[in-house]
Amino acid sequence: MPQAKTVIEARGLTKTYRNGPTEVRALRDVDFAAARGEFVVVLGPSGSGKSTFLNILGGIDRATSGSVLFDGQDISTFGEQALTRYRRDHVGFVFQFYNLVPSLTALENVALVTEIAANPMRPEEALDIVGLSARRAHFPAQLSGGEQQRVAIARAIAKRPDLLFCDEPTGALDSATGVLVLEALVEANRTTGATTLIITHNATIQQIADRTLRFADGRIVDEMTNATRKRPAEVSW
Amino acid sequence: MVIPPLRRKALRDLRRLWAQALAIALVLAAGVATLILGNGAHRALSDTRDRYYSEYRFADLFSDVVRAPLSLVDEIRAIDGVIGVEARIVKLARPEIPGMVEPASVLLVSVPAEDGLNRLHLRAGRLPEPAVADEAVVSQDFALAHGLQQGARLMVVMNGKRRALTITGIALSPEFIYALGPGEMMPDPRRFGVVWLPRPALEQAYDLKGAFSNLVLRLAPGLSEPRVIAALDRITAPFGGGGATGRADQTSHAFLDAELRQLGAMVKVLPPIFLLVAAMLVHMTLSRLITLEREQIGLLKALGYTPLQIAGHYLEFVLLIAAVGIVAGFAAGAWLRAGLAQLYARFFSFPFLVFGTDLRVYGLAALVTALAATAGALQSLRAVLALPPAVAMAPPAPADYRQDGRGILRAVALRQTGRMVARHLWHWPLRTASSVLGMAMAVAILVASLWSFGSIDYMIHVTFGLAERQDVKMVFTAPEPGRAVADIRHMPGVMAAEPFRMIPARLVHGTRSKRVAIEGRPADARLSRVLAPDLRPMPMPDTGLILTEALAEALALRTGDRVEVHFLDGKRSVVDLPVSGISVGFMGLGATMELSALGRAAGEGALVSGANLLLDPNATGAFFATATLAPKTGFLNVTDLTVSRFRATLAENITLMITVYVTLATIIAVGVVYNFSRIALSEQGRELASLRVLGFTRAEVAAVILLELAIVVLLAQPLGWLIGHGIGLAMVAAFSSDLYRVPFVMGREVYATASLIVLAAAILSAIAIRGRINRLDLIAVLKTRE
Repeated sequence: MPQAKTVIEARGLTKTYRNGPTEVRALRDVDFAAARGEFVVVLGPSGSGKSTFLNILGGIDRATSGSVLFDGQDISTFGEQALTRYRRDHVGFVFQFYNLVPSLTALENVALVTEIAANPMRPEEALDIVGLSARRAHFPAQLSGGEQQRVAIARAIAKRPDLLFCDEPTGALDSATGVLVLEALVEANRTTGATTLIITHNATIQQIADRTLRFADGRIVDEMTNATRKRPAEVSW
Repeated sequence: MVIPPLRRKALRDLRRLWAQALAIALVLAAGVATLILGNGAHRALSDTRDRYYSEYRFADLFSDVVRAPLSLVDEIRAIDGVIGVEARIVKLARPEIPGMVEPASVLLVSVPAEDGLNRLHLRAGRLPEPAVADEAVVSQDFALAHGLQQGARLMVVMNGKRRALTITGIALSPEFIYALGPGEMMPDPRRFGVVWLPRPALEQAYDLKGAFSNLVLRLAPGLSEPRVIAALDRITAPFGGGGATGRADQTSHAFLDAELRQLGAMVKVLPPIFLLVAAMLVHMTLSRLITLEREQIGLLKALGYTPLQIAGHYLEFVLLIAAVGIVAGFAAGAWLRAGLAQLYARFFSFPFLVFGTDLRVYGLAALVTALAATAGALQSLRAVLALPPAVAMAPPAPADYRQDGRGILRAVALRQTGRMVARHLWHWPLRTASSVLGMAMAVAILVASLWSFGSIDYMIHVTFGLAERQDVKMVFTAPEPGRAVADIRHMPGVMAAEPFRMIPARLVHGTRSKRVAIEGRPADARLSRVLAPDLRPMPMPDTGLILTEALAEALALRTGDRVEVHFLDGKRSVVDLPVSGISVGFMGLGATMELSALGRAAGEGALVSGANLLLDPNATGAFFATATLAPKTGFLNVTDLTVSRFRATLAENITLMITVYVTLATIIAVGVVYNFSRIALSEQGRELASLRVLGFTRAEVAAVILLELAIVVLLAQPLGWLIGHGIGLAMVAAFSSDLYRVPFVMGREVYATASLIVLAAAILSAIAIRGRINRLDLIAVLKTRE
């Protein structure tokens, strides 16, 4: 049920890909709502539709039908420019392969976003939140995978987003490094109050969330709320 | 037929990368085309000339006399090395053409004997009957210009008498391939033609029975021309011989020679530029392709393909592009060559054009082009050979930008996207440099071709605006006493008349010598002036000579030096004169003296050859009517007609030339810009898509690539100007001959125009790239590792 503090909401979200004669239904009539500051983990096997779901909520893909409401505005009716504006001002993304710009240092990668955002924090502050102040002058080629991912998180939160979407942020990392990244995400969620959605294959991670969604065949098949959240350091895989 | 899988891959790669491949192929094609055009045209022109000369027995030596007995011919024939002599009567006369106001002249030449020299090629009709006094053959261009056909009548004033000639034929002669009227700068078939008459008719008209006025000689191959000239001059001197000249000084031959030299220069400059740029493009594109296909290369090696087989596959890909370029270049080259052939046919009077398809030229062009493409691929192929399979299949380490201008960029306040651009350019120095050089070449080609406009304007301004300011130059049939000028002053419309004297002479300085006509002019001449290199009028010295820069250089003379002057007319005196100054001059080699000083030096007193005239614009018609009928009038050069003919002829040639050069430069610019941007986009596609996800607009993302491109294009401009300037200077040196010297006038507008054309081409390519940036697939790039 949508509540007063709901920040993002999906109604009857359906996505169909057409590939020649075959039709793939990636999402089937998905309803979802998240409150401001909520930390949600999205689980599900490959091809279950969770990335498509996240991409549509984040405004880099469009639904075939249904609507996505952000702060009461239907972004599925947005044009190209309004969607870009939406991403620029409200959405932070973190991806499995970091997607840092190799020719910019850690600090400059963060500044890339703060230069265009409406109400950003200082890049140094964002790096501080993810614990990488000491590595600010390093280029991606000089950073470990975990460090690169933390720079990506700093870049995502530096604009003070309302929504933080992470697609397999620990997918390319070992367990110990993954924990560091999760800690950065939890810290980011705490300090910025951004509603955070994390896609993962890794069921263990659900223990750090407020709520867990499980996707299968393009639908949310299960939804669980954690009474108590564990700290990332308390989980391992 | 089974196509091997790697060949199939090469063909598919070609189809996938068609736009980049096409851009490279076009640059290669331009190289092939210019090679074929240049070499082909050069061969065609020289082969045609050689065949024409040999089949029509073109003479090697030319000599004018006033009047010499035919008995002299045997003595001349006896000179060692002379294998043919034709004693002719050659006279300038005035045609009367109904409805034509402006003055015209025809050169009357006695029809060569059956086994004679400079034989005629009849285009129509027959040669005149020797026994019939009023039959004549006329040169083709003159006949065409006046619609003269067989059987038509042509009125010619010979030696003061009007004679009606019946045209029996239309002909061409190897002596007048480039038919320039006396005192003219460009052929004008309306105002100058050649008329061949049987010797008896000319003997009678000019009272030259048993005599001749002109000699042409053919020499045995490999003979010392100067030695024969010396022997000939000794024989002809008593008969007013003005000194023999070789082919090098024969007008028609010299102009053809100049054209051949220009073509030779073009072949040396243009094709290498295109082949170099194409090699750089191949290098860029193939390096990127191989980087992208690293894993496939590792896989192929793991599957058991030898490194050579894999390198061969990429070489095949490059050679396929080269093949497309070569075929397109063959077609374009053949087409351009045909166009040039037409131009030659219009400009030069040849009875035929030897325009055979020389397979060697095509073979050479194909070979050189394939080699250039292969050379561009070499470094990338070496990388393929060296890559161990296990390393190849692992993803490459992220590009390390640590060293790339970090310190400098830190100091400069830049947006982060600006830093990305700067570091990316810095990270690939070779590619950035070759792209800059490639664009610079496009600019250079334009600079090196466009400067000629300003240069021609300058030449006309200096020659006719500042130096030769007369409306008409009237040249007498023979030298006259100074008072003849007074008669001219009384002609209708003449507002001012300044006499001049021309005496042929050989100037000797040490081992160097040049044959020129020394011009004498009054010290206070105001119409025709001699200009110093700073364009100020030069006062005429009391005794010394003023030489044009070209002549001074040719004889290695400076102001204050002394030069030996052998007059070739009148008393044929030899004097030693000081060089009093150096003047500008773009046409021919010139030497000037004060009028009476010249008379004294030549030992002939106060004779004049003609006068420079200022006319009342309202009375030119009356002047021409009177002047053409005056018995002393040899010919008239009308400045306006000369200039307009000069401009029209050049305009025609230059329009064609500029079209070709602009096309070629555009091909380079588009090729470089398109390939550079596509590669930059391919390398940074992932980053750019990330920027879009982060909330950058399409325009902001496109700006990253376009800024990179803009920097390359801008850096290329000054370099292009510099290279173009250098090529221009080299062209001036290559084109300068005794006939003309091209002033090097490189104005800012040349640089600006060249840059604007290249920028336009760059912008068009950028628009094509912009579409690709807009279509970046945001989700795909985020899902995959590079």
